[in-house]
Amino acid sequence: MEDSRRILIVDDDPDTVTYLTSVLEDHGYLTRSSADGEEALDQLETSVPAGIILDVMMPGRSGLDLLVRIRRDPRWATIPILVLTGHDAILEDRGGTYTSSHGVDRGPDAVLGKPVDIAELLRTLEGMIPPQ
Amino acid sequence: MPVDRDHYFEEMPCYLSVQDREYRIVDSNRRFREDFGDREGTFCYVAYKGRETRCLDCPVKRTFDDGRSHACEKTLTTLDGRSIPVMVHTTPLRDADGEVKAVMEMHTDISGMRHLKQQLEHSRTRLSRLFEEVPCYLTVQGRDLVIQNANRAFREAFGPAVGRLCYEVYKHREEQCLVCPAIKTFEDGETRSHEEVVTGPDGQKINVLATTAPITNASGEVIAVIEMSTDITQLRALQDQLTSIGLLVGSISHGIKGLLTGLDGGIYLVNTGFAKENPERVEKGWEMVQRNVDRIRSMVQDILYYAKDRDLDVMDIDASELTGEVREIVRKKAGDLDVTLELDIPDDLGSFEGDRQAMRAMLLNIVENSLEACRADRHESDSKVRFRVRRSEPWMVFDIEDNGIGMDRQTREKIFSLFFSSKGIKGTGLGLFISNKIVEKHGGTIEVESEPGAGSRFRVRIPLEARPSTRPPGGDTGEGEGMDGGQPPDPDRR
Repeated sequence: MEDSRRILIVDDDPDTVTYLTSVLEDHGYLTRSSADGEEALDQLETSVPAGIILDVMMPGRSGLDLLVRIRRDPRWATIPILVLTGHDAILEDRGGTYTSSHGVDRGPDAVLGKPVDIAELLRTLEGMIPPQ
Repeated sequence: MPVDRDHYFEEMPCYLSVQDREYRIVDSNRRFREDFGDREGTFCYVAYKGRETRCLDCPVKRTFDDGRSHACEKTLTTLDGRSIPVMVHTTPLRDADGEVKAVMEMHTDISGMRHLKQQLEHSRTRLSRLFEEVPCYLTVQGRDLVIQNANRAFREAFGPAVGRLCYEVYKHREEQCLVCPAIKTFEDGETRSHEEVVTGPDGQKINVLATTAPITNASGEVIAVIEMSTDITQLRALQDQLTSIGLLVGSISHGIKGLLTGLDGGIYLVNTGFAKENPERVEKGWEMVQRNVDRIRSMVQDILYYAKDRDLDVMDIDASELTGEVREIVRKKAGDLDVTLELDIPDDLGSFEGDRQAMRAMLLNIVENSLEACRADRHESDSKVRFRVRRSEPWMVFDIEDNGIGMDRQTREKIFSLFFSSKGIKGTGLGLFISNKIVEKHGGTIEVESEPGAGSRFRVRIPLEARPSTRPPGGDTGEGEGMDGGQPPDPDRR
């Protein structure tokens, strides 16, 4: 079942997860979190969130690799994805090179840099996931 | 118009004289008389050289003796004192019975030729000196790739080379190189440049920029190739350092962004906790702030240690005491992360030699790495880090084992590389690189066994006695000075 206000946070850093969870829940969202790509895929199998906030550098499967995997699956291909990264190169490129080189047309819906500006994060999320 | 033979003799553009068996001049031509005077009846050695006795090596005598023509080089002295280098030719003059009655001597002025010869010799010497002293490696190879000539710089760097194959001397190879610029230059006569790594006599690698050029004969055929190589090892090392610095800056920048996110998160929780009058949230936020400040401190110390490569300060270290310190430092962190810290540290471990501060930093880095591996593993409810130390002659062995997320092969092979981090925002990629460097400097080894999902085990072996390379000069193992900066990361964390 798709939960219209639930955001899946995928990040290996527990502090970042705690931070994003608190901010989103304080602003009316529901959250779930995964510490790595494999766990995120398991969670997607059980429920489809309204949006995903995705870290890039994670142990095992990288965030961009997970993004390609999600986009290739028709069940999840249209989930809005916000990539959160400290990598300038990914920020500038907006993840486009990686996804297009893997034959995926739709890259991330938004890319924001770390440390994240909360107001911008909330504004971007509202743009991606219109309020019900 | 017929001209008589006397006229030819008279006008020949060289000195002509005829001597009898007593070496007296019996006839001479105009040119002779102009420079030596009318010397008829005078001994030739007096006339030509101002000598009082006959020349030792006299071509006239030899012609009288064997009846043949002879040639040699001499220097004559004219009436006005000029020295003239000449080529001498003698020819016998016979009577009707065929007996040599006199010898005609012809002297051709070769001053111009002698001058050219000297210039040629001078040019050759200069060229040879230039070839010899040019401050790069120079060799000349034939088509068979045998070195025909090598300059001083080359011989000093690679040893005797003439008569040996270029690839044997330059690269210690038994077969010709796959890409050979000398062969290509032989084929098309073109100059070529490329970068190579060659091997010195002691096996040291030398980066060179090599250029080959053709040496052609008069008909334009390439008969040899000259190869000039410039040592660019230092340049390459500098480039590598600059690349490392670039990577470090990128890595630090990435790490700081992550830490700022953690700090922002802590501050957000503290602020909203106060606003919502939620002490638990405030406490959680404050812990986040503290943790990220600790990480920043640790990162700065790692950077400082990386920035300054210092000598070890070797002393006797009580192993139980050292591991006790490490335990105290990580105990709180393990508690915060809800990781059980199991210790197996006997009291009778004794001591070993090493740099105490570096050893403590190395162990802390590995233990903290294991704690982070447990923290990242959210599937494991019973997270454990086991820290075991034992004495196994001639080593002190430290085993640090966790049941955290573990590593795949790719990660395992890269963990000791500079700037490789599997910890996302938390890692600068310096910690394990520095730990490995510390162990290597002590002459020890570090091994890692790990599987994804099955945890990791690091085994560090440190020699009980410091290796010669780690001993301070004079074998003094006391508390030396020289801790002037670039300290190993001081791991005291509150």
